[in-house]
Amino acid sequence: MTIYKPEIAKINRIEKLTKTESLLDIELLSGKSLGHQPGQFVEVSVFGVGEAPISISSAPSDLATFQLCVRAIGNVTSALCGKKPGDKIGIRGPFGKGFELKHFKGKDILFVAGGLGLAPLRSLIWSVLNSRKDYGKVYILYGAKIPQELLFKEELKNWKEREDVEYHVTVDVGDEKWQDNVGVITTLFPYIQFDPAKTQAVIVGPPIMYRFVIRELKNHGTPDKKIWVSLERKMKCGVGKCGHCQINDIYVCQDGPVFNYEKLKNLPEAI
Amino acid sequence: MKKMKNCVVTKRELLDLIDRKIGEGKEVIAPAKQENQANFKRIKSTREILWEGPQTVIPPKAFLFPQEEELMEYEVNDEIKVKVKVEGKPIILLGIHPCDMNGTTLLDKVFAENNLDEHYLKKREFVTIIGAECLVPCSTESFCYRKESVLPLEGFDLFLTDMGKNFFVEVGSKKGKSLISKIARKTTPSDAKKLRKIRRVRDNLFDKEQRKLKPKLEDLPKLLRENYDSPVWDEHGSRCFNCGSCNMVCPTCYCFDVRDYMELNLKRGNRTRFWDGCLLTDFTKVASGEIFREGRGARLRHRTNRKDWYLFEKWERSFCTGCGRCGKACLTKIVDPLDIENELYDRWKR
Ligand SMILES: Cc1cc2nc3c(=O)[nH]c(=O)nc-3n(C[C@H](O)[C@H](O)[C@H](O)COP(=O)(O)OP(=O)(O)OC[C@H]3O[C@@H](n4cnc5c(N)ncnc54)[C@H](O)[C@@H]3O)c2cc1C
Ligand code: SF4
Ligand code: SF4
Ligand code: FES
Repeated sequence: MTIYKPEIAKINRIEKLTKTESLLDIELLSGKSLGHQPGQFVEVSVFGVGEAPISISSAPSDLATFQLCVRAIGNVTSALCGKKPGDKIGIRGPFGKGFELKHFKGKDILFVAGGLGLAPLRSLIWSVLNSRKDYGKVYILYGAKIPQELLFKEELKNWKEREDVEYHVTVDVGDEKWQDNVGVITTLFPYIQFDPAKTQAVIVGPPIMYRFVIRELKNHGTPDKKIWVSLERKMKCGVGKCGHCQINDIYVCQDGPVFNYEKLKNLPEAI
Repeated sequence: MKKMKNCVVTKRELLDLIDRKIGEGKEVIAPAKQENQANFKRIKSTREILWEGPQTVIPPKAFLFPQEEELMEYEVNDEIKVKVKVEGKPIILLGIHPCDMNGTTLLDKVFAENNLDEHYLKKREFVTIIGAECLVPCSTESFCYRKESVLPLEGFDLFLTDMGKNFFVEVGSKKGKSLISKIARKTTPSDAKKLRKIRRVRDNLFDKEQRKLKPKLEDLPKLLRENYDSPVWDEHGSRCFNCGSCNMVCPTCYCFDVRDYMELNLKRGNRTRFWDGCLLTDFTKVASGEIFREGRGARLRHRTNRKDWYLFEKWERSFCTGCGRCGKACLTKIVDPLDIENELYDRWKR
């Protein structure tokens, strides 16, 4: 065993969520549970193509299966989305620091997801919703470019219908059937009234989204230490060696991808 | 490391011993002539060794962390079989200079930290390092004296100092000790005195000849922290070609890329790692096209900060040994850490 050796896993099911994103149900051949924390990631191998870091999209569980939501954008990710049930892949991990539930228990939680950011955030959202009574109010704000790019449509419907979740959605550009908000994600903030002193805000989305959402949160009076983000960087090893994921002196693959904003704001390369 | 007894060997006996080992098939790697430059390569005789320079183009890291290294091979059928390649072979690295021994010691630390990199560590386990002290500067670019790197910290099996007819030998390991047990003799007070004198002369010479570092060595992390936004970064960076030579030749640069290769039958393949460099444009580029460290100045700053701030603070030791290779390799002469730090210091003070 070395830190670079993948464990063999089997794809049990593939569901196409959008034109470019697929949801994969994966099971380690060892039969063991992955044992992850929400927000952590795995390095996924397609043998002969390469490896890519992918967030674990399902909530932690004792089951041997877990889910990855993959956007086909390059070599490895396209190969993954083109796999069939029964195909074998490699998994290393879980890696990195995820969301520690103890920071969220008993608090109100504001989730802000942009685009594919919902994939990692989903593992935390379902951890919270699965033991709903342990948390205060739950707000979910979700934005995508166009309606066709919305992920997990069944689950979005569930969140919209639930009494114990306040869910709002927006797209940058709507179509004739679209009835919800149109505009960037910050245009959803007027819909909600959250108490910045009691709320933990969690943001995951494309790089440019962070600056705008953090500014919005700060305008509402949210203290830095109640803001959580998950960052993307290039990663090759996942174990703190290859140097690609570095932000100043920290390694996203080890110290992140989940960070408290209090820590990040002093790193000029972060956001 | 436990301090072992120093000793003295005659040069002739040590070189004969090594030549005998070579004759028996032992792989001995030393600085030797390659085309019109010096490089580490397998030697057939100790007569080939360039003891006093010129400095090798590539540091000895290439033998522990090869430029291209297969991490594993695999077979893809109904089952997938992965065979990890953690291999080392016994070699002697001979005539390594103190700056490079220190570079190796720093790599030992980072590869053994937290997640053990067994590919590196296995190679390291099999290597015997016989270093050689520098008594004259090996190039006009080097500044090892300014980086407290004229002597090795640790990480050697034997360390030789030329005393004319003899080598003074510092013994760093049992492996080193047993190698020379038959030819070693005890040091005398006059050997020790002679060594002190040689080192005094050397210190004076290096102090006179090597460029000065204006800030104090221990202040470098602070200097870099406080000059994070200095215009120096973009002024130097704007002339960078993104060639990555400075990363390739550095004994303490260890970033890598990983790629998969598949045979044409699509059944067998391997995963290989390669040296990568933080000065290369694609180093932080992700599939969406985003480059997280955009700007050549920012990349130059990152390289310098890693050496003399981030890793310096973490390991309490500069990750630039002052070997001077990057300054020599850089075509536009912008990367030399000592030059950059002096410039930051001059402008900061004003
Ligand atoms: C913590 C984390 C979590 C993530 N979570 C998700 C997720 O949940 N879902 C998701 O879809 N994505 C996720 N991503 C993004 C995902 O990792 C990238 O989209 C993926 O790595 C792209 O890989 P690729 O091989 O498909 O793309 P490619 O563009 O083919 O390759 C990706 C990188 O490899 C390099 N590369 C390409 N070809 C070569 C080559 N021949 N040799 C050397 N290098 C090469 C490129 O420079 C590029 O930066 C996450 C990323 C991180 C860091
Ligand atoms: S930064 Fe330059 S001078 Fe310093 S160790 Fe690396 S190659 Fe040598
Ligand atoms: S050697 Fe010089 S030109 Fe080449 S990448 Fe390094 S700093 Fe840039
Ligand atoms: S991914 Fe290699 S150091 Fe973080």
